[in-house]
Amino acid sequence: MDVQGIPLFSMLQSKLGYLAERQKLIAQNVANASTPGFTPQDLKPFESQPGVDKRANAGVMAQVATTDSGATISGAGRRREEKPQVFQAMDAPDSEATLDGNQVVLEEQMLKMSEARADYDAAIGFYQKAMNMLHMAVHKPGT
Amino acid sequence: MAEIKPPSDAAMAVAASSLRAQQLRMRIIAENIANADSTASTPGGDPYRKQTPVFATKVLPGNIKGVAISRVEIDQTPFRQEYDPGNPAAGTNGYVKMPNIEPMVETLDMREAQRSYDASISVIETARSMDQRTLDLIKR
Repeated sequence: MDVQGIPLFSMLQSKLGYLAERQKLIAQNVANASTPGFTPQDLKPFESQPGVDKRANAGVMAQVATTDSGATISGAGRRREEKPQVFQAMDAPDSEATLDGNQVVLEEQMLKMSEARADYDAAIGFYQKAMNMLHMAVHKPGT
Repeated sequence: MAEIKPPSDAAMAVAASSLRAQQLRMRIIAENIANADSTASTPGGDPYRKQTPVFATKVLPGNIKGVAISRVEIDQTPFRQEYDPGNPAAGTNGYVKMPNIEPMVETLDMREAQRSYDASISVIETARSMDQRTLDLIKR
């Protein structure tokens, strides 16, 4: 069985990949906080990433409808090909620039980092809940 | 077979390169502070000159932008002059050239290095805790 066939799981998986990638970019920004002329980077918002399925939200709803009506669920399985997603980055200068042209403000990067971490925790929690739901569905009642 | 790596490896590698660079910066600051009173060994000669680290982006394997100190520049600001004819390093006019080091500037630089170091440490901690959360999924 492939849980990636379930839209909710594939969406969470790409969200987790997105957040890990964002964490990498923030690490680069923090490391280069003293590099002259360095402009910090950030990922474009998750919704505007090309690999992210625009139908992901709608997909979850549609999937419920099709399974309800007893239609095939194999359609979801082939929707996402097995290829690593590439996320688009953009320049994201912070609020201040130093005289040497460095545009990193450590505090703002720290803020972004804890934001990414909180989102990651939320996505993992969601994943877990969804797994518990599957677990509940496949197990005999009362066990 | 392709090597499987957690994505947080990249974040940690970047943070580690930053830790190394800040350590080296601290060493240079320590040298500057230690030599704040190092005069010349010959009469009228030049004393210790302040060193300045220059940071540059260093591309690590996997096309990630780490950081490194690319070179150490010698600060060319003029020396302080102190009138002290009895000093063995004094020139013919009785003035001694003192190193061009401002202890206050060095202290502030040190604070900045410490702040960057702390920031990189918390990047590593965050990356680690994100990994841990993922691994926790296997536990149940």
